[in-house]
Amino acid sequence: MALLTVIGRGVRIRGRVTGEADLTIEGHVEGEVAVSGDVTIEAGGLVGANVSGRVIVVRGAVRGDLTGEELVRLEEGSRVVGDLRAPRIDIAKGGLVRGLVQTSGSVGAARPAARARADAPAIRRAPAPAAARPAPAPAPAPVRAAPAPTKAAATVARPTPAAAPARHAAKGPPPPVVPALKKGAKAALKKKAT
Amino acid sequence: MASTVIGAGITIEGEVSADDEIVVQGTIRGKLEAREGVTVEAGGVVEADIVSGPLTVAGSITGNITSSDRVDLQSGARVVGNVKATRITIADGAQFKGNVDMDV
Repeated sequence: MALLTVIGRGVRIRGRVTGEADLTIEGHVEGEVAVSGDVTIEAGGLVGANVSGRVIVVRGAVRGDLTGEELVRLEEGSRVVGDLRAPRIDIAKGGLVRGLVQTSGSVGAARPAARARADAPAIRRAPAPAAARPAPAPAPAPVRAAPAPTKAAATVARPTPAAAPARHAAKGPPPPVVPALKKGAKAALKKKAT
Repeated sequence: MASTVIGAGITIEGEVSADDEIVVQGTIRGKLEAREGVTVEAGGVVEADIVSGPLTVAGSITGNITSSDRVDLQSGARVVGNVKATRITIADGAQFKGNVDMDV
């Protein structure tokens, strides 16, 4: 059983908090929080950097990314400026968030090939910045295309659709494939034709 | 208001300042400032300078202690550093290395 740590209301920490316990923050933490237990940021709590834990419940303010191994929950009164990453994300009514919201397996657990596939393997796609600003919407956000060569991913046998919720995010038809012509290719073709 | 408890599995590296009591069962490295009071329980490790009100130690402290009130070293305590306090008790079994300044 993970032990409980409470950082009370009048406490201000300027540094990292790490460990293997459950953590409740009612004060100010201006450094990274990385624990293997649950993190609860109470109303009045303020965290100014990334938070990672197993189950993260926010009722206060966070300026940084939240990475949960299991769940990230934003309750009423919570204000988050930063990304949310967890297999399950719960944004209750009244929760405010600005950042990327990504429901997917935690890093290492997801099949990397399946993620790189991103619904459109043969396409060299520019990263999608527009995907980064959803309102707290229930629809899972599209998985960001991996910058790694997607061509390599295409040759991987397409795995059976994973059960993770991000997979069946309806994204619409993939953009058409337009092979890029080398410079002068048109001229070379014309020359050949003559 | 609940006091702040730094549980056994937690390590804080940085500056901690508190308006209320702090109970340390884990590890703090850096600087600790708690106007109300600090209790370092057995198993607690503080590698920092401490500025506090009353201080009770049963764990390990490496750093200078400046207390506006009393400092109590309980049995099992291990303190390496200078202590500045108005009152001090060092129980049998406590280990201490440093200067004591009681502002005499």
